Amino acid sequence: MKFKSSLIVLLLVWSIMPLLWQLYTSFSTDQALVTPFAELSERWTLDHYRNVISSDPPFFMYLANSFFVGIISTLLTLFVALPAAYSISKLSRKTSNYVRVILVACALFPYVLLFLSLLELARTFSLGNNLIALALPYTALSQPLAVLLLSSAFVSLPSELDDAARVEGLSLIKRFRWIYIPLLSPAIASTAILIFLFSWNEYPIALTWISDNSKLTLPVAMARIAGSSIHSVPYGAYAAATVLGAIPLILLVIVFQKPIVSGLTSGAIKG
Amino acid sequence: MTLVLKSVGRKVGHNWIVKDLNFSVRQNECLVVVGPSGCGKSSTLRLIAGLDRCDHGSIKIDDRDITNLQPSERAIGMVFQSYALLPHLTVYENLELGLRVRGMRAEQRARRIQNILDIVQLSDRPNHLPSALSGGQRQRVALARALLRDPKVYLLDEPMSNLDAQLREKIRPELRSLILSQEKPTLYVTHDQNEALAMATKIAILNNGQIEQLDTPFNVYHNPQSLFVAQFLGRPQINCLKVRNNTIDAVRPENLTISDSGLPCRLLAREWLGNTQLLYLDSDEGELRMTIDPSFVCPERIFVQWDKSKVFHFDAKTGQRKSFH
Repeated sequence: MKFKSSLIVLLLVWSIMPLLWQLYTSFSTDQALVTPFAELSERWTLDHYRNVISSDPPFFMYLANSFFVGIISTLLTLFVALPAAYSISKLSRKTSNYVRVILVACALFPYVLLFLSLLELARTFSLGNNLIALALPYTALSQPLAVLLLSSAFVSLPSELDDAARVEGLSLIKRFRWIYIPLLSPAIASTAILIFLFSWNEYPIALTWISDNSKLTLPVAMARIAGSSIHSVPYGAYAAATVLGAIPLILLVIVFQKPIVSGLTSGAIKG
Repeated sequence: MTLVLKSVGRKVGHNWIVKDLNFSVRQNECLVVVGPSGCGKSSTLRLIAGLDRCDHGSIKIDDRDITNLQPSERAIGMVFQSYALLPHLTVYENLELGLRVRGMRAEQRARRIQNILDIVQLSDRPNHLPSALSGGQRQRVALARALLRDPKVYLLDEPMSNLDAQLREKIRPELRSLILSQEKPTLYVTHDQNEALAMATKIAILNNGQIEQLDTPFNVYHNPQSLFVAQFLGRPQINCLKVRNNTIDAVRPENLTISDSGLPCRLLAREWLGNTQLLYLDSDEGELRMTIDPSFVCPERIFVQWDKSKVFHFDAKTGQRKSFH
């Protein structure tokens, strides 16, 4: 028991240390960062946050851009993945297993390999510098994982609910409205958060599709902050941007903690 | 009102899971379909409900062919084994959903739901979630949902299988009188033969997707037409004697009596069952089961006999009843 607890504490420290270090860095003066053990008159500062927030364009615009792209790609992905997952759950076991294997293969495919062709598509169809268009590749790339997660959730629903609804005369759309979406809300919430996280953190496609400064998403903007000087790396500003960028995600996870956990474990335990 | 099935069949892959079903259920009749697991009981119900497609034959309610209609267009009310109540909706909302989908106005919905809740004695629980109800109450909500449709035919798929034995016995007469008071044809599926005998006005014994016998509960028990039916109905199971001249003789355990002469038997084991006791006997005719007064102290060696008129004769190859005149 003691060993187990120690292991858990060790894992927690291992996971949380980089975050704490980032937080420490964001509030430390540049001098404190390079001489961590020296006696300094000014060790703590809010300058990094002030600089990041008051930059041009303002940092919150990047947050808003990322949020916008994240919401659009999450909604689009769910809109396509929910019916697809429902259909897969209605296939025969053999066929649905084949489909799932293909989906797993797609989910595991390194998407970075696609980015040149995606860039070509963006050029051909003039999709560059458009945040809604940026959500399209995110939607496509999130599909396999979303369909896999949601189809497992659909399988866990008792088929008699569907049968009873058909006898009552509920159309497929009404069944989604009254049965599937409410009952699968934990799985939908956890899938939505995974999609949102992917789009929030995505870098290569955002870098190549968006060049307009006012439309940059967070990862690209942060990379620009990190590379803003050729003489040094602005660790403090970069850390402040990271902390600010992480706050919405942490809030999201705290708010949806319960559905995320129950969604990720749905189907794991026979109820 | 009459439900008529003509030559109904359903195929899955190359196998007929239900084949050549022919029967009718009239108004005020409760036909109980009974049989072992996988014999096609629930499939029959699903075919009538329109939840599965018929590969052969036709289903009619009165003279209206419903074979190819959608489930909601068939005028059936169905109670499912798991009750299929939506866990996130209250009792009232569960009942209201179907009416709302059918476009009924709010005041009319409220009136009808109140009426039905009174009938199923749940008028004090309209705002409870299904999780806050007992098994029996959930079953009544499921039944209320079926009643609300004012259907022409009731279909009940093992509606008591999720209840404990005591509750099942308590609810059985209530359910039976409620169903029969509706004066509609009712098809009731169960694997529990006691329930089948108690609920039925007629029983259909299903085996491998086909009806072995369809008759009144009394006739099915006392006049089985096949060895399968004789063995399936009645606990303890009927005794099958040694095969002679391609004939299997079978006699029910309650028809064996202890006497001074007859078939010599050795006591193997006894089970005291409260109102009776069950003896397991070894004899030249094979192992026999016999029920007897619970207070009787059985010696190790006894003689057993039976009334010849209580013996059923079955063809050893086909399992069909033989009649000896």
